[in-house]
Amino acid sequence: MTHIDQILTPNVAGTDRELIAFRIGEQEFCVDIMSVREIRGWTPATPLPRSPAYMKGVINLRGVVLPIIDLGARFGLQTGEPTERHVIMVAHVGSRLVGLLVDAVSDIVQLSDAAIQPTPDVASDHVKSFVKGIFAVEGGRMISLIDLDHVLPESEAEAA
Amino acid sequence: MSDDPFEAIKATFFQECEELLADLEGNLLTLESGSTDIEVINAVFRAVHSVKGGAGAFGLENLVRFAHVFETLMDELRSGRKPCDDPTVKTLLRASDVLADHVAAARGAGAAVDPVRSAGLVAELEALTYGGAAPVAAAEPEEDDFGFTPVAMDLGAFDAPAGLPDLPPLPDLAALAPLPDLSALAAAGGWKVVFRPHPRLYASANETGLLLRELARLGPTRVQMDDSGLPLLDALEPTDSHLIWTIELDGDASETEVREVFDFVEMDCDLSVTPLGDAAPVEAALAAVADEDDSDASALARAASSELDIAALLASVGAASTEAPAPVAAPVIAPAPEPVAPPPPVKPAPAPTAAAPVQTAPPAAAPVTIRVDLERVDRLINAVGELVIQQAMLAQRVTESGLARSSDIGLGLEDLELLTREIQDSVMAIRAQPVKSVFQRMPRLVREAAEATGKKVKLVTSGEDTEVDKTVIERLSDPITHMLRNAIDHGLEGPEERLAAGKPAEGTVRLAALHRSGRIVIEISDDGKGINRPRVKGIAVERGLIAEDAILSDDEIDNLIFLPGFSTATEVSDLSGRGVGMDVVRRSIQSLGGRISISSVPGKGSTFTLSLPLTLAVLDGMVVGAADQTLVAPLAAIVESLTPNEADIHYVGGVDPVLRFREAFVPLVDVAQVMGFRDDPTVLKGGVVMIVETESGQRAALLVDAIHGQRQVVIKSLESNYRHVEGVAAATILGDGRVALILDIDALVTAKRSRTPSRSDLQMAS
Repeated sequence: MTHIDQILTPNVAGTDRELIAFRIGEQEFCVDIMSVREIRGWTPATPLPRSPAYMKGVINLRGVVLPIIDLGARFGLQTGEPTERHVIMVAHVGSRLVGLLVDAVSDIVQLSDAAIQPTPDVASDHVKSFVKGIFAVEGGRMISLIDLDHVLPESEAEAA
Repeated sequence: MSDDPFEAIKATFFQECEELLADLEGNLLTLESGSTDIEVINAVFRAVHSVKGGAGAFGLENLVRFAHVFETLMDELRSGRKPCDDPTVKTLLRASDVLADHVAAARGAGAAVDPVRSAGLVAELEALTYGGAAPVAAAEPEEDDFGFTPVAMDLGAFDAPAGLPDLPPLPDLAALAPLPDLSALAAAGGWKVVFRPHPRLYASANETGLLLRELARLGPTRVQMDDSGLPLLDALEPTDSHLIWTIELDGDASETEVREVFDFVEMDCDLSVTPLGDAAPVEAALAAVADEDDSDASALARAASSELDIAALLASVGAASTEAPAPVAAPVIAPAPEPVAPPPPVKPAPAPTAAAPVQTAPPAAAPVTIRVDLERVDRLINAVGELVIQQAMLAQRVTESGLARSSDIGLGLEDLELLTREIQDSVMAIRAQPVKSVFQRMPRLVREAAEATGKKVKLVTSGEDTEVDKTVIERLSDPITHMLRNAIDHGLEGPEERLAAGKPAEGTVRLAALHRSGRIVIEISDDGKGINRPRVKGIAVERGLIAEDAILSDDEIDNLIFLPGFSTATEVSDLSGRGVGMDVVRRSIQSLGGRISISSVPGKGSTFTLSLPLTLAVLDGMVVGAADQTLVAPLAAIVESLTPNEADIHYVGGVDPVLRFREAFVPLVDVAQVMGFRDDPTVLKGGVVMIVETESGQRAALLVDAIHGQRQVVIKSLESNYRHVEGVAAATILGDGRVALILDIDALVTAKRSRTPSRSDLQMAS
């Protein structure tokens, strides 16, 4: 199992990690804030032929051709057509820059490594390949920590 | 570039070598054209000398040895003792090729140098130098090196501050010997500095290398290191000082200036400064040193000691390009080696090594340039491309908002548009480079091709300063190489045949570059026999490329040579004719969005014309619509467009649609369907068809919903953030800010043929 330090920027001793939390449907996820470059509203994407269903296509991000991944569909969740209220988190995945389509960005959370628990065995293998840990926050919410390395199509993730 | 400073210096050296070799060849070509300008000969000499000097510093022995022989001959030429005649220049040109090979081999970029070829040229050069007589063995070069044999330093020890000297084997070091500037030596002025650092000097953080470099600023220096005081390894006290340095400084620096260099270390070293003309033997100098510091006399008797400061030595070698010979034979005290023996009145020696790099700077005022990381330029180009799109979008919004063009905002936008365009042009110009860098490689190629075929060939180039985008430059070399070889191998006749035809024995191949209507045109022409049309046609029939009874125009016959599998050479020669002939050239040109054509006059010669876009960053495209998507088809691939008549559409086997086009059936490709934008294959009505030609010359009809028009688009990679998508060559951003995909025509046509697309592999995102 990937160690926390491999999916998060190495922690400076004594400080809490900063994670950016977002919502897909009723569920909350989060990624390391350092991997997110910007957050922008949904704009229609140009579809790509011969691509998996979770590939929404490409958009123009100030001259960069940015692939858009429907993160919910990638996790195997039911998602509808994106609307203007959806947001795109522009994130670094390896050397690539990708747009992650989510329902909304909900929070910025700070927590220590100790608060992160391993993913329980109840989750399916498919989910476990993305979810690297879970933790609880105030109000009884549970947030899943996402490893972005596998969100691109498999063959590419290996080649990258 | 490596982080290792030494590797970085070495990389710089090789970069300089590139430039020096280019200068060298350029100047030799000037000589070949009949110039006897002594400045040109001097420039050639300096180029070879600089290569040798740098190579010596890096211990590249093979390179140094070859350069030395080359340099020796150049020295004879510039002194006027040998005539710089045509055969000599021809030999020099070939020698420059081998020199380039040596450089490439040293760099690790090229294959090892053919030792036979290299040795052959060494022999030729020596024969020219010594007027046919064999050189007087190694004695000749040794004559002017004062009996000193330089210690070749292993620069790998650079990082080991107090490491042992890595003394490589000494044979052949004669070739490494620097050629001291005897003429300068004879001139009045100059100082001889004997310098023996005490351990205290190093303890107070001074450095021999820095002092030597400081001295080198006063004038050309020759530095000799006496390591005879160096004890054996087991006796070596690393903090002790073991070395004595003898520096001969040319120029008119005053004694005060020289002493000033040692101002801060005067108390921590033995120093003697004597006029250079003074033939005082070194013992006297050292005695003087000893007098100055009696307490150290015993140390001197042990022939001095000096901390073995390799790093400092190397720094001085690298910084001032001085070679640092050291007496090997005997300690300095011994009478034998005599660094300042009055120079024998031998031939005027080359310019001092230290000064050589400076002298290689072209005397003419060259434009001031800087080296910039290409990635930075690309980033700038991207940003400007986005600026252009934003500006267009803004203009569109303003128009939509109903503001008059004459309003303040409208006028301001107009200015902005002009400015934007100017910025875009300037930015693209940054990446533009003259085709010179490609053309420069061709004279050598022509020489080798001429040698291999036994033909006499003169290459005439023009338009070297024609500028084209770097992306295109990089990919011009191969096609030009191939076509020049073809011109020499197949186009030109042998000398006898030429004379018989009333032409000069020497054939002429022209290579020209020019701008024409926003494209770069490269012309390669020869004054050979032209295309042998009956033979070309015969071969095409023989290979089954055309029907025997086909009636072809001259032009059509000429163009047969571009067909795959066509090669006219009856025997496979070394040069060309491996069966990958002009079709390969055509394909590589087409992949750049270019076209190639030929015109030929029997008996007079042939001309190949390449026309290429000025940049690969933009593409002339046809913007089309298919199933609500906007796509771009490369204009270069489109032959024509038409509205198909339903009666012309047929189905092979009832499934695969074909279109009757000019008495031929071409496969009909529904772009929307193959791209997976539409499921229903029956919608063949109401569309527009583009007849396209793939790189291999096959034709197909692409069916789209509408053609929106022609536009120049900026090419954006899809791979950089995602991956290659079949059927898509790249992406671009249109004026409305949306991404449009650029079609990969070849892949589309092939995909259509190889399989019937099914829903599963064309799964769509939305």
